[in-house]
Amino acid sequence: MNTLREIIYEDVREGELYEKLDRNWVRCFACGHCCKIPEGQPGVCKVRYNRGGTLYVPWGYVGAIQCDPIEKKPFLHAYPGALAYSFGMLGCDLHCGYCQNWVTSQALRDPAAVAGPMRVTSAELILDAIRQGGRVIVSTYNEPLITSEWAVAVFKEARAAGFVTGFVSNGNGTPQVLEYLRPWVDLYKVDLKSFDDRHYRQLGGRLQPILDTIRLLHKMGFWLEIVTLVIPGFNDSDDELTRLTEFLAGVSPDIPWHVTAFHRDYKMIDPENTSAETLIRAAEIGKQAGLRYVYAGNLPGEVGDLENTRCPNCKTLLIERFGYLILGYHLTPNGCCPSCGSSIPGKWAPGFQGQITARPFVSHTRPRSDLLVLNS
Amino acid sequence: MAYIIAEPCIGTKDTACVDVCPVDCIHPAKGRAYDDGRPRFDEVTQLYIDPTECIDCGACVPVCPVTAIFALDDLPEKWHAYIETNKNYVDGGKFQPDKYQKASS
Repeated sequence: MNTLREIIYEDVREGELYEKLDRNWVRCFACGHCCKIPEGQPGVCKVRYNRGGTLYVPWGYVGAIQCDPIEKKPFLHAYPGALAYSFGMLGCDLHCGYCQNWVTSQALRDPAAVAGPMRVTSAELILDAIRQGGRVIVSTYNEPLITSEWAVAVFKEARAAGFVTGFVSNGNGTPQVLEYLRPWVDLYKVDLKSFDDRHYRQLGGRLQPILDTIRLLHKMGFWLEIVTLVIPGFNDSDDELTRLTEFLAGVSPDIPWHVTAFHRDYKMIDPENTSAETLIRAAEIGKQAGLRYVYAGNLPGEVGDLENTRCPNCKTLLIERFGYLILGYHLTPNGCCPSCGSSIPGKWAPGFQGQITARPFVSHTRPRSDLLVLNS
Repeated sequence: MAYIIAEPCIGTKDTACVDVCPVDCIHPAKGRAYDDGRPRFDEVTQLYIDPTECIDCGACVPVCPVTAIFALDDLPEKWHAYIETNKNYVDGGKFQPDKYQKASS
């Protein structure tokens, strides 16, 4: 793995989310670990490292690019149908045994994960995103918090070009990183993976920083959606899902909550794949807790009305979906229910502007040959 | 229990591991008072990792100046007794006063 590590250690610049300590140690604020890092060592994420008392962070490369429907991120209350130009770097501050992006997220920990970085400038990314018809640019696939400086550099150019920006994150944040991101990030998805601190520690984190981040994201006005991957025997008990959704409803009943189905992946191959019945049960618990917008994802056609958005007041069908495909869009131009006029929380375009794709794709018309070697 | 501190820690107790641990799961920390009756830093022969608190990040491994910390799978055979030693100090997230007393007497 030295070669990959060497490549990554060349594509860096000094970070902004850290403080210098004595003895040439540094403390990083990019994620909830807040690593104290001695000279010559990386943080837990293995991509931010201390050299000579300076923290160096990833810069100027991507580990993967793909054009996804925004519904795949998933954001269901933000620009329905928009193409989300999605990029990731490498590495993660957690090490979930069921990671579905482990080829990129665990590239620095697991020799079996091979995803080579490709050098690119932020301007090249934006030009490519424009060419593909993207409306939203999202940092995803690996944990974007640990590469926040690069994401902000890309998002500054994205904003200038009229894009909406987003993070798809595990939510293991800090107040410092959220302050840093706030001017440049519009949409923020958090994976709330469990409501049990012991489970979180198995995944390489703690529950508390994630709950604190969720509260703060909402308070600071990011558009926030929460996903819970429901894993049989790990986090699907009625008790845990009740406590989790009561917490979310306590932050705001208007936060969309997505429950998605686990499939066997990476190292977690013992639990059964999640059934539609389990997702429906989880969704019901969320509704009981007071959440107004609960969705069951990634089992298209098997979860009844749980793919659709309905007005919580009069039950009018507002957005009809099948998987990532928008079948019907009935919100008013200012994001209200056409029947009763209730305002629906979210980031809405004045109207549905069609959908370039209902499935992820990697374009065959890339401007740079090295961008062809992508996440396939 | 994913990481174990083994023999080289005895007589060293460097504490770089305590400094880098992002979740403060290595005990007893220097200058820290515990309310569960466990001995303080000066009173122990080595440091211990609480496996309930540990998040398996591995940050402690490379900073140990005497290479005392191992992932369980990498622990040399000759130091497998330290799995039990660690358990005698902390088990199930709790300090084990009786087992610890017995083991260190």
